[in-house]
Amino acid sequence: MKSFVQRALTSPAAGLLMVILLLGTILTLFAGTHVDRRTGVEVNNFLNSNTLVQTATDASFFAIMAVGATFVIISGGIDLSVGSVYALAGVTMALALRALAPSSDAATVLIGLGICVAVGLVCGVLNGLMVVTLPVHPFVITLGTMWIVRGLAFVISRAESIVVPASLTGMAKASLGLTETLYPVPMLMMIAAAVVGMVYLERTVMGRHIFAFGGNPEASRFAGLRLGRIQMGVFVVSGLTAGLAAFLGASFYGSASCGDAAGYELYVIASAVVGGASLTGGKGSAISAMLGALLIVLIRQSIRTLRLDQNYEWIVIGCAIIIAVVLDQGSARVAARRLAAAPTGGTR
Amino acid sequence: MIHPRLVLPLALAALTAALAACSGAPPSPAPAAGGASPAAGTPAGAKKKIKIALIAKSSTNPVFLAARTGAEAAAKELGPKNGVEIEVAWLTPPQEDGQIQAQRIAQAVNEGADAVVISCSDAGKVTGAIDDAVGRGLAVMTFDSDAPQSKRFTFYGVDDLKTGQTTMAELATQMGGKGKVAVLQGNQNAPNLQKRVQGVREEAAKHPGIEIVGVFPNIETPQDAAAEVIRVNNAYPEIQGWAMVGGWPLFTRTLLDEIDPKRMKIVAVDALPVELPYVEKGLAPVLLAQPVYLWGYVSVSTIVDKLVLNKTIPERLPMELVRVSKENLGDWARQLKTWGFTDVPDKYLQMGASAK
Repeated sequence: MKSFVQRALTSPAAGLLMVILLLGTILTLFAGTHVDRRTGVEVNNFLNSNTLVQTATDASFFAIMAVGATFVIISGGIDLSVGSVYALAGVTMALALRALAPSSDAATVLIGLGICVAVGLVCGVLNGLMVVTLPVHPFVITLGTMWIVRGLAFVISRAESIVVPASLTGMAKASLGLTETLYPVPMLMMIAAAVVGMVYLERTVMGRHIFAFGGNPEASRFAGLRLGRIQMGVFVVSGLTAGLAAFLGASFYGSASCGDAAGYELYVIASAVVGGASLTGGKGSAISAMLGALLIVLIRQSIRTLRLDQNYEWIVIGCAIIIAVVLDQGSARVAARRLAAAPTGGTR
Repeated sequence: MIHPRLVLPLALAALTAALAACSGAPPSPAPAAGGASPAAGTPAGAKKKIKIALIAKSSTNPVFLAARTGAEAAAKELGPKNGVEIEVAWLTPPQEDGQIQAQRIAQAVNEGADAVVISCSDAGKVTGAIDDAVGRGLAVMTFDSDAPQSKRFTFYGVDDLKTGQTTMAELATQMGGKGKVAVLQGNQNAPNLQKRVQGVREEAAKHPGIEIVGVFPNIETPQDAAAEVIRVNNAYPEIQGWAMVGGWPLFTRTLLDEIDPKRMKIVAVDALPVELPYVEKGLAPVLLAQPVYLWGYVSVSTIVDKLVLNKTIPERLPMELVRVSKENLGDWARQLKTWGFTDVPDKYLQMGASAK
């Protein structure tokens, strides 16, 4: 039996964490320094609290979506509509708050959150319904809804960038007792989403059903699992996380427009895949998806901190996705061979 | 043995380490003590180095590459003249994204930049980040596309409403005051382009013979924009003129072969080297050039004026359009050449040169 330490060290999360630390070390060494305006102290261009929190903040919006996308990917599906759901949720919230003009800050935050989550929920239900009832792969369904939802956002916003109430920005940029230039709320929400996702996937029966369904749909059907409900559920979770990310994003940046998060679905899927999720289903981790998002942002950050041509960003991320999928398939084959060779009743 | 799951992260780390080794970027020397922004009261000449973050809308749009050339030329010229070292850090996203621009502003602040110069893809998205940067002592100015509600100290660019009006007025003249026209809008979220379209509409209303059949947004890449024009022309064969508030489709030669200049006229904003054949052929008899090189050049010199020379800067620095037609094609081509454009065809450089 493997020891806890051995399992922890060989888990995808440990590997990602290690490389994040390694990259951080490299960046710290190469980043150079500057004198902080407020304190007059010389600080490292990378290893300073503002940059570290900023990096986590940059990752948080698509890391939260990546947690939801991981549910879908574990089930063997894919959701290309998350960026569009993000845009629709954001503009719907901004328009509604402009029309309603709630009297108190708390009401503004609650109504804004409620609207974003509701839009995400509706989009998730629609995606799930179509995936369950239509004989079409989720790729095609969500490719279609990606354009439909983006189009809806365009029509209702009339391409306007709609400013959200200041109370929302105040909430998203609350310093929570830290230095006033640090904004940890998106980072904390990202961690919370990843932890909730991990607990659901790994510690609940419903979560294990998703793994079972993604790993072997036929066996799951014979085992009596309600497959339609599982599929519906994962798309609802994906929609909900897109709504939550939209709420945070629009609040943090102070406005919402129909062009928001265009192309982010690729970052979201890349985060899940780099985090070890298998596109053939049955494997994935919410925590690793978050770390995958952090790693991608760190790669982006490193390209600028090291003053490289920023087009390397796309090349590196593209390489990462291909390597991840190739390794994933390779390790799946190795695991299958080991399983076949193992004596009956072998360990997991 | 390395666990298969560790291979990917390690491969990525190795890749980044290799990139770091290849970058050749030495650690930046620490600025001199007391290097706080001169805008906050440091006397002129005390600062040894100014780091300016240049954030345009998209690094795939050639007009912003010209702005970068201008900014770097200004840094090279004005630095020694004023006894400072000026570094221009190009932080432009690969494609338009207001959220990424806001992130780049924050990055510039965290890495010790003294000033930010930005063309805003989405004013609403970057206003908070601009205000944060100003709050932390940076000088921030906008060019091309403004964020008027922010705390930026100035804006340099054309009057967009007037630009739209001029575009339509020129087109109406070329069409003899009558006919059906289409408007090419670009990114429908960009406030500067929205204003230009508003200007086009206002001017069209003054010409009873002119009818706008539609305003068409497009992805701001040359191929996508040219494809959109062809699609619209096929759908609306009655179109006789195009008012383009940006020159995107003319950054390729596609439309030169697709459209008969006797049947259709184009008036567009911008006049880059690749667009000059459109003027020569008469398909775009008038281009309204924004001196895009000056976006970068004037922005850097304005930052130097503010941070080094402590000059008072007006809230708006107007940029004038240059009307480019067959009459001044040679002069404009030579102007582009002196601004560092390397792709100006020789035949335009020769035009009218002997008369000078």
